[in-house]
Formats: sequence, C-alpha cells, structure tokens
Amino acid sequence: MNNARLLFRQIRGAVRQSTVFVLCVALSVVTLVSLGSFGRSVHSSLLRDARVLHAADIIIKSHSPFSPVLTQAVGAKEQRQEIKTARVYEFYSVVRALDNESSLLSDLKIVEPGYPFYGAVTLASGRIFNEVLTAGSVIVEQQLLDRLHLQVGDKLRIGSTTLTIRDTVFAEPDRPTNLFALGPRVFIAAADLASLELVGTGSRVHYTILAKVRDQNSIGRLAEELGRSAVKDRERVETYRTAGSAVKRFFDNLLFFLNLIGIFTLLLAGIGIQSTLTALLKEQERTIAIMKAVGAGSRFILRHYFALTFALGLIGTLIGLAASVLLQVFLPELFRGLLPAAVELTISGSAVTEGLILGFIVVFLFTALPIYRLREVKPRAIFGKEEQSSLRSRPTWLSSAVSLFFLFGMVVWRIREVKTGIYFILGVALLILVSLICAEGIMYLLQKIQLRNLIMRQAVRGLFRPGNATRVSIVTLTASLAVIFCITLVENNLDSAFITSYPPKAPNLFFIDIQPGQKAALAQSLGSATTFYPVVKGTVIAVNGVPVNQEEEHKKRGDNLGREFNLTYREQLLDSEQIVDGDALYRKEWPGLQVSVLDTVLKMRDMHIGDTITFRIQGIPMDVRISSVRTTTRETLQPFFYFVFPDDVLKDAPQSLFAAVRVDKDNIAALQNRIVADFPNITVINMTETATIFAGIMGKLSAIIRFFTFFSVVAGVLIIVSSIIATRYARIREAVYFTILGARGRFVITVFTAENLCLGLGSALSALVLAQTSSWAICRFALNVPYRPCTAISLMMVLATSLLIIAVGLGASFSILRVKPAVFLREQADE
Amino acid sequence: MIHTLRLPALAVVLGCLLSGCEKQTTPAPAVIPAQTSFAGTIVAVGDSLTAGYGLNETDAYPAQLEKKLQAAGYRWRVVNAGISGETSSGTLSRVDWVLKLKPDIVILETGANDGLRGIDPQVTKKNITETVRILKQNRVTVVLAGMRMVTSMGRDFTEKFAAIYPAVAQKHDLILIPFFLQGVAGNPALNQEDGIHPGAEGYRIITDMVFPYVLQAGVK
Repeated sequence: MNNARLLFRQIRGAVRQSTVFVLCVALSVVTLVSLGSFGRSVHSSLLRDARVLHAADIIIKSHSPFSPVLTQAVGAKEQRQEIKTARVYEFYSVVRALDNESSLLSDLKIVEPGYPFYGAVTLASGRIFNEVLTAGSVIVEQQLLDRLHLQVGDKLRIGSTTLTIRDTVFAEPDRPTNLFALGPRVFIAAADLASLELVGTGSRVHYTILAKVRDQNSIGRLAEELGRSAVKDRERVETYRTAGSAVKRFFDNLLFFLNLIGIFTLLLAGIGIQSTLTALLKEQERTIAIMKAVGAGSRFILRHYFALTFALGLIGTLIGLAASVLLQVFLPELFRGLLPAAVELTISGSAVTEGLILGFIVVFLFTALPIYRLREVKPRAIFGKEEQSSLRSRPTWLSSAVSLFFLFGMVVWRIREVKTGIYFILGVALLILVSLICAEGIMYLLQKIQLRNLIMRQAVRGLFRPGNATRVSIVTLTASLAVIFCITLVENNLDSAFITSYPPKAPNLFFIDIQPGQKAALAQSLGSATTFYPVVKGTVIAVNGVPVNQEEEHKKRGDNLGREFNLTYREQLLDSEQIVDGDALYRKEWPGLQVSVLDTVLKMRDMHIGDTITFRIQGIPMDVRISSVRTTTRETLQPFFYFVFPDDVLKDAPQSLFAAVRVDKDNIAALQNRIVADFPNITVINMTETATIFAGIMGKLSAIIRFFTFFSVVAGVLIIVSSIIATRYARIREAVYFTILGARGRFVITVFTAENLCLGLGSALSALVLAQTSSWAICRFALNVPYRPCTAISLMMVLATSLLIIAVGLGASFSILRVKPAVFLREQADE
Repeated sequence: MIHTLRLPALAVVLGCLLSGCEKQTTPAPAVIPAQTSFAGTIVAVGDSLTAGYGLNETDAYPAQLEKKLQAAGYRWRVVNAGISGETSSGTLSRVDWVLKLKPDIVILETGANDGLRGIDPQVTKKNITETVRILKQNRVTVVLAGMRMVTSMGRDFTEKFAAIYPAVAQKHDLILIPFFLQGVAGNPALNQEDGIHPGAEGYRIITDMVFPYVLQAGVK
C-alpha cells in the first residue's frame, strides 16, 4: 500500500490513543475467546453434572412399592429398548459386626447392576464399582469400619444374611441430593435383596427407578408418558433437568452471570474503542482538513482511516489471541476441582475463529461512526474552526441501534433466551438513556451553581470548553461505571448468598436431642468452645386471631406455617443477625409476651411489628406480639431460628439442646463412638463431606467470578484513560493560556483536578444509583437471591473511581504541563 | 428459591427428622367442639404420631378422641401434648411440664423416633420406665401405647424394640395398647405421602382402637 508509511507515522504520532485502542480490542478478544471456550466446556459439563447428580436421565421415586400400572409402563418402555433401568432401594437399618457384636445404624443402598448410569462410584481400591459389588459383597463407607472396628474382608450381619465387606467407598455421584445421613453408607447388590428380608410389608424404604434413555431427545416425552402412569402424590417422575438441585441452580446462575459479564465487557470495550478512535481522529482533523484541501476525496480519506483502524484492530486482535493462549496456562488452575478432569480447557479452533470474527465485528461496529463523521470534516478546520459533534444526529442513532442489535444477538446466542435478550437490550438502552439524562442533569446543575472560588469556577468552565466532550464523557463514564458497579454488587450478593455460606471453619458435626441435664457433661466431652442452642417445639395456630389452616399450609410448596417450629430463647442478637425492623430485639416498654421473627417468616405470611402470633407450645396456647424482625447476614451452616423469645417466656418450657461444632475429620469416628457410649440418646449428624465439598466448590466459583469481573474493570479503566486523552489537546491549550496569564503549575493542576473531580464524582454517583437499581432487579428477578445494598463497597467504588479519574487525569495533565507555552504558541502560529 | 442452598438442614435436622415437608392427601378438617366443663383431663403425650404431623389439630387422634368421648357422654378433656421428632429422652425431660397440666390419665406414645434413629432399645426402655415411674408417683393412670419398628431396621432390632412395651406395662401394671398403629401402618391409603404419618382417616381408626383402653383407664 502506498500510504503504509503515512499509516505508520500516524500511529506513531498518536501513540497513546493507538495503545488504548489496541488494548480495548485485545480485551474484547480475550473476553470472547476465554469466556467462549470456558462457557462451552462448562455448559456441557454442567449438563453432564446435572445428570451425574441424579445418576440417570429419568428418576422415579416413591415411598411405597411402585404401583402395577407404573411398573408395567416402565417394563413396556424397557422392552421396546427405549430405556434401560436400575432399581435402587434406600433405607436405614441396624447392621452388626459378626465378630464383636457391636451394631450401628447404617444408610443402606441396594442397587441393581447398571447403577450409576452417569458418574461413577469411586472406591478406595480404585476398582470398578460394578465389578466389586457382586452377590454376597458389600461396599461401605470408611466411617463404618472405624465405628465397628472392622476391616475390608470382615463379615457384616445385615437383616437375615451375612455379607462380606469388599471395599470402601469414597464418593457416589448422587449423594449430594442426600445430604443428611444418620449413619454411614452401605452398598448392597440387588441380588442379595431377598435374603436380607428387610424390604416388604412394614418396612420403610425409598424406592427409586433410575432410567437411562437411549435417544436423548425423547427424555421429556418419555418422562411425561411415565408420569401419566404414576399414582398422583405418591410416585414422582422427574428428569435430571427438572429434578431440583441447589447445586445446578447455582451453576445456572453462574453461567448466566458470566455470560452477562462477557457481553458487558464487550460493550465496555466497544465504548472504549469508539471513544479512543474519536479522540484519535479529533487530533487528526487538521491533517484530514489539509488532505482534503490538497484534493483528497472523502472516499480516499475513509479508505485510509479504515486501513488505520484495521491495522490497529489486527494488532489488538493478535495481542488478544496471544493473551488468550497465555490465559490457558492459568485457567485450568482456576477451574481445578470444579470441572471434571476430562473437560479440555485448551482453546478450540472454533473459539479462535469466533473470537476473530466477533473481534472484527466489534471493531467495525464501534469505529464506523467516528470514521463516518470524517466526511463532515471541512477543509476550513485548518483554521481551527471546530464543529461540535452532536449526539442527536441520525448516524449516531443508527450506529447505536446496530450496536444494540449486535449485543442482542450476542445475548440470544449465548444465553439462548430471547426474553433475556430483550430484557438485556431494553436494559442497555435504558442505561444509555438514563446516563444521558444524568449527564444533562449534571451539566444543568453545574451551569446553575454560582461559584465564588476561582479554582472551582475555572474547573466548571473547563467542563464547558469547546471541544471538551463533557456530555459524552459523562454519558460514557456513567454507563460504564454503572455496569462495573452493577457487576460488583451482583457478585457480592452472589458471594454472600452462596460462597460465604460455606466457610472452611464451618461446623461439621451437629448434635441433636441433647437433654438439659446432659449439657455440662457433653460440653466437657466435646471440649473446645461448643455453642448450645435451646430448642423448644411449638406450632403457630393463629396470626392476629386468624387461625392457621395447618393442612392448607402443609400443601404449599416451600416452607410454610404448617409445621412444627424450633423456638429458642436468648436476650441478644447473634453475630450473624441484624435487625431490619424495630429498634431492638425486644421492647422493654411492652407488657406481655413478645417474639422476634426472622424475615423469612414474613415470606410465609405478611406480618408486621405489633402483630399477634398465637403459638401452641406443648398443648398450651400463647399469644405473643412481634417485637422485631431479624435477618441473617450470613447464610451459613450456623443454626438460625425463625422465632426467638425472651428468656423468661420459654426458659421453663420442656426443651432439648442443639450443638454445632467443628471437629477434625480424623477424630470424628472416635468422638462418635464416645458420644454413643456416654450419651446414647444423642444423635450425631456428620456433615463433614458436604461441608468440605461445598466449601471447595464455592471458593472456586468465587475465584472464577472475580477473574471475569476483572476484565470489565480493565475495560472501565481503559475508558477513563481514553476519555481523558480525548480532551488532551484542549487541555494543553488551556494550560498554556493559564500559564500566559501568569498562573503557576499548581494552580493549573488544581483546576484540572477539580474539573476531573466534578466529572468523576458526578458520573460515579449517578452510576451508583443506576447500579443499585439494576443489581437489585437482577438479584431479585433473574437470580432469585436476597439483595443487600453493600453500602461500604458502594461508597468505596465511588471513591475509588473518582480517585482513579483524578489520577489518570493528572497523569495525562503532567505531560501537558511540560509543554512550554512559547513552543505551543509558535507551533500554533506556524500552522 | 435459591434459599434451598441455605440448607434448611437445621430445620430438617431439628424439626422433621421423621419426614420431609411433603404434600399429603387428607380431606378437610372437622369443627372444633364447643367448650364444656370437664370431668377429668387426659394428656396425650407423644411424638409426631400424637401431634398429628401434617394435619390440622382437629384431625389428630387426641381431638378425635375427645369428640368420641363426649359423644359417648364422657366429659373428658384431651390435651394434645405431642411433639414431632421427640425421642423418649425428650419425653422423660418434660414429664414435669406434663404434670403441670394436672392429668388424670396420660396416654404415653413415645419411642418411634428412637427406633428410626437406631438408638439402643435399652436406652428407650430405661427412659419409658423412668417416665412411667414419675407419672405413677404422681397418681396418674398411664395408658402405654405399644410401638413397633419398621421391619427394614432388621429383625434383631425390631424384636428388641417391640419387647420394650409389654415388658414395661407388665412391670408397672399399666394398660397397654398392643400396637398404636394397628391396621394403619403400612397402608398407603391411610397414611400421608411419606408413608409413616397417618392421615385423618388413619387417625379415625386409631381413635376407635384407643377408645376402649381409655375407658378402661377411666374406670381404674
């Protein structure tokens, strides 16, 4: 190309803008490629995980033997080879060691060959589950061996038969749905079912049919057909997609959130690209005017600048791809333990192609407008007659519309929901509109304010200087800061809803049914600091005199007033609690009985402070007034109580105690044996595995979210830098004039700082309002997690961004101050 | 709701160890009988099987029993002092509280939760014996409801468990209902979806079965 040298010189001449531009392009490519390949592997492994979590495609459950109709329906489908099935029977039974006569309540799982259809039961020996679990053998949890002092190879008396322990089990795929076990797991082959003589009349067994469907597309249809044969309210037919699982819900939320972050980052990077290019072209206006004056046509100019953006875009894309490759070194580390090892996290060719294509679309979309505007540059611009670019011109709207449409396509493509896509686009359009209104509002306020201070007056005037794209800057900053704030707020809310729920030091052993007389002895036996919570059972029989229909309540999905509640008494709030309504836990001035309720209760029924709840506590009705509403600030494994009473109300009521402690994994079996010997009535629930698994997963997820949120923060910083660079030329001139008028460097800096402060604080505050509103809506409606406004974090974000804007502004201004007035003026005169 | 992740564990653990919060299929409740002056007080002490887990209080057996007694001309009050999830240790701990209700007769139905949690039947037996001793000391006539354990717990265990009740009844000369859930346990039509808690119809059968034993206690 004959003007390659010109291109090179232009890039070198505007090295700052070019760098920011390249970085923005690189950032969008990195985000697209890494989120693309991550999303793909997560999506497939998630579906697989959901299936693994249930070990089957279709799951049929019942508390009684399956009805003949359903059994026949299953049999018919099996005969047509549409499905393969494995029956599973689960129940508790007391097993006995053959040698030493000690016995233990165990969680039996009797499985037919084929179980599990998905996932694997991992054994200590590393052998294959189905090969080890043959007739006559059992596979047990290590805990059982420890508690009964047995070894692999020993015999176990179960029901009416004696079986040999062949191995110990580490993990089973469908265990997470069965979190609370009263005893260790024992796997038995279905071949031994009859000889156990445990399943039959009078037994309490959970019956399950697991089905693997041959044609994956027919899962829904088959489940529906089977559902029609099921006895209503007794037999439940579900697919792995419909079966509720908190873990899957979380993964869904995570993926949704990551995709949104990705698209938002793209939007931010796009804004960055557009504003740097605008700045770059602004500086080139004179050159363009000269080119036009010496006869260059609009077409030549457009072609030339397209070549320029293409060159920069290519450099950015290449850097982005290189960075993506580098990232792959870290990604597996980040995702270790979260994704199955089989998931390849290497960059796929399709992800690279996709990244390249999308990268170029982004560059094109966001550069079209500034380049198109070049047509409007008239040769007379040589004489410094500047023309204000307007936000209201048709090309602006057109290019915004096309960009929005592109983003809409991205959302629909990534999230696969048109509705979400529409919400997203409406959201972005609203965001830009509200940012515009905010910008107008800030500008109006600044114009109206009468300032006495010279510095502030100059700063505000500076914002209105010709060529200073204050309005555009505020819109850009407000919109992008709102997005970043919003992401941060949502992330923090997700974090508090899920991740901090599983602190590594969370209690893992729960003791229930402790009788008051045993408290002291148990505390001594458990050692360390054990917290005891008194528990008094009671039901709610009326609210404000209106009786609660237990039966109706009981039919409701989710928690309701139709069950027995665990009431407790204490005089203070727990560390993890906050009062959300009312002045204190209890009202001293109120006569009569009172109770503090957890906010969750208000979801079951609308109640207010001062309302009367009638409890029935062991046969005795009790009217109490609501004195306060509490919320838990951490959704931890710590106990929480819906109703908390003052000491004097419940202290003398019959009660048991509940205790939660953290015990080292290795000491659990010994401790449990000791408790059973000394306190045979106390039941110990061991949640170690659950707590460990969850803590691990949640920690990882937190890291992943932070990692991708970081992209959007980088995009935001780039935008700030680019918007400051955009006004560089005007600032230089201003600094020169100030200096000529006798101002010192310090004065100029103070004026610039004040100016940036107005800009930063104004944008940050309006962004915060926007972010709070939108993140509340996202948490409330899209993610369904409780919302907290995170005041401290919000203020810190406003402060940090204001400081960042000032710092970047100062950084850019120092080089401006170094420009000698005389040199500048001479250059101006020369031109 | 994502609240499921908050682990209703503790609710489950503490509250309804016996069953999840599932739907059930029983018909509408009856009307609360009018207040009258009573000739005596029967306190129905027990676990969820007495409390009427998942049903309106009027459908649980104590309310049905009171109605049946009144219809037969006996002006007895029947207090439902059932606590879901309670073990025999819990019953023993609150016997003083039960005495505050000044019962003439106590129908004692406990131990099922002990069995379901695999607690050594010896412990259950000791608790019931001690509870009975205190009640008798306070001149309360005790009707002991016999219980059996689900067969899936294993024959050794269920035999030891079932033997508790006749042994205690005999030793303390109590009126014994041989099996509280006679004719109801194991019949899906008479139980809620969880398969172990009776529905309203199930309680009607239980009430009819308990009735003569209560009359016998009234004579005593």
